[in-house]
Amino acid sequence: MNCERIREQIPEALAGRLDAAARETLVEHLESCAGCRSEVAELNAVWRAMESLKSGKEEGPDPAAKARFLDLLEAYKAGMGIAIEMPVRPARSFMSRPAWQAAIAAGLLIAGIFAGRFAAQPRQESPEVAQLKGQVESLRQLVALSMMQQQSPGARLRGVSYSEQISQPDSQVQQALLYAVNHDTNVNVRLSAVDALQKFAGNPEVARAMVDAISVQDSPLVQVALIDMLVQINARSVTPAIAKLSKDLQVDEVVRQRAAWALERMGGTR
Amino acid sequence: MPLDDEAVMTEVRAGDVGRLELLFDRHQPGLVRYFTYLTGNRALGEDLAQDAFFRVLKYRHTYQPGANFRAWLYQIGRNVYADHVGRHKQEVAMPSEAAEIRGSETPADREFQKKQEALLVRQALAALPGEKRELLILSRFQEMKYEEIATVLKCEVGTVKVRVYRAMRELSDRFFALSGEKAS
Repeated sequence: MNCERIREQIPEALAGRLDAAARETLVEHLESCAGCRSEVAELNAVWRAMESLKSGKEEGPDPAAKARFLDLLEAYKAGMGIAIEMPVRPARSFMSRPAWQAAIAAGLLIAGIFAGRFAAQPRQESPEVAQLKGQVESLRQLVALSMMQQQSPGARLRGVSYSEQISQPDSQVQQALLYAVNHDTNVNVRLSAVDALQKFAGNPEVARAMVDAISVQDSPLVQVALIDMLVQINARSVTPAIAKLSKDLQVDEVVRQRAAWALERMGGTR
Repeated sequence: MPLDDEAVMTEVRAGDVGRLELLFDRHQPGLVRYFTYLTGNRALGEDLAQDAFFRVLKYRHTYQPGANFRAWLYQIGRNVYADHVGRHKQEVAMPSEAAEIRGSETPADREFQKKQEALLVRQALAALPGEKRELLILSRFQEMKYEEIATVLKCEVGTVKVRVYRAMRELSDRFFALSGEKAS
């Protein structure tokens, strides 16, 4: 075996991960090769020096970090609950906030009346029911928009998730989501806002705004999410912009590749 | 007998997201160490680890049942770090004191020579290109086998072997160059 192949095995040998046969071959080679012996000695010195940088293994996560994670998990589960259960039901964590309690109580009351009336007359939607339905929708929007303006990323994230439960979100929600995609400091909020924009698939302005957002994003993950969403909503009107993106060398390679993939997908559906 | 990571993650994928707490307990400290070595900042390391676990939650459906969970987690971790570096264009510095990544377990009576070595190797490591530094962190500090690193980096095991050697070679050159400068 030549010296190059032997030397590539040195880190594994220092880590004690070479199997017996490979170790024997290495030792045999070292006996007759001064150059490789010197290489082992040098790398061994550095390997040992690195030992001093190794951190001790903690028993478990730091309690504060664990608490933060559990909060996140609860918020996420609450978000899943909203998606699975009645859309009117708000997440538990923000029900406790005094500012929203009245609005939520009113919302539940309206929802209750609405549900009762709707159950009694399931086949015909009276103007009164339609009005109540509108009020519930408005309340949901109000809650979602309020949450999206919160300082805490977790609250903004819940706001974005909650906005997805609005059956016919208006332009205010649309603008809030686009604002989140372009300006939110938290990548996770931006990603969720991209997902939530699916509701506006029929609006060509949103598709254009999403393309514009790709170029201002500093996160390749969000850029890829935007491209994926454009493919999902089949935004053919923006294919020239995607084509441009796929050739722009200033753009991250992964994003360029995704743009090229998107073009293929959208072209294929023609 | 405790469930292995892959079985737990399969439950999370199926919707039992509360089970992620178990995986958090098992892997968060290692992930924090990984990010701390990369960034030189423990608090930032914890934030990035938090971000990585959130993405595990959000993208849980992309986990392939049976796939090595730790390797998948570190793939996500690499994306989190890439996003972070993208937002903070300047080169990430290693900590000014090696103690920051060692934690509190270092013996107080460390010999002077070892201190010097630690300082030099830390400087040499900080001066390595990011890809090489990351390889050594995974291999030397996270004690991952080449097969696992290959999964994380999405390349062949043979490629990992060659790259780790080259990274060690460059680290060694920088380490001894710094030692020479110090001696002169």
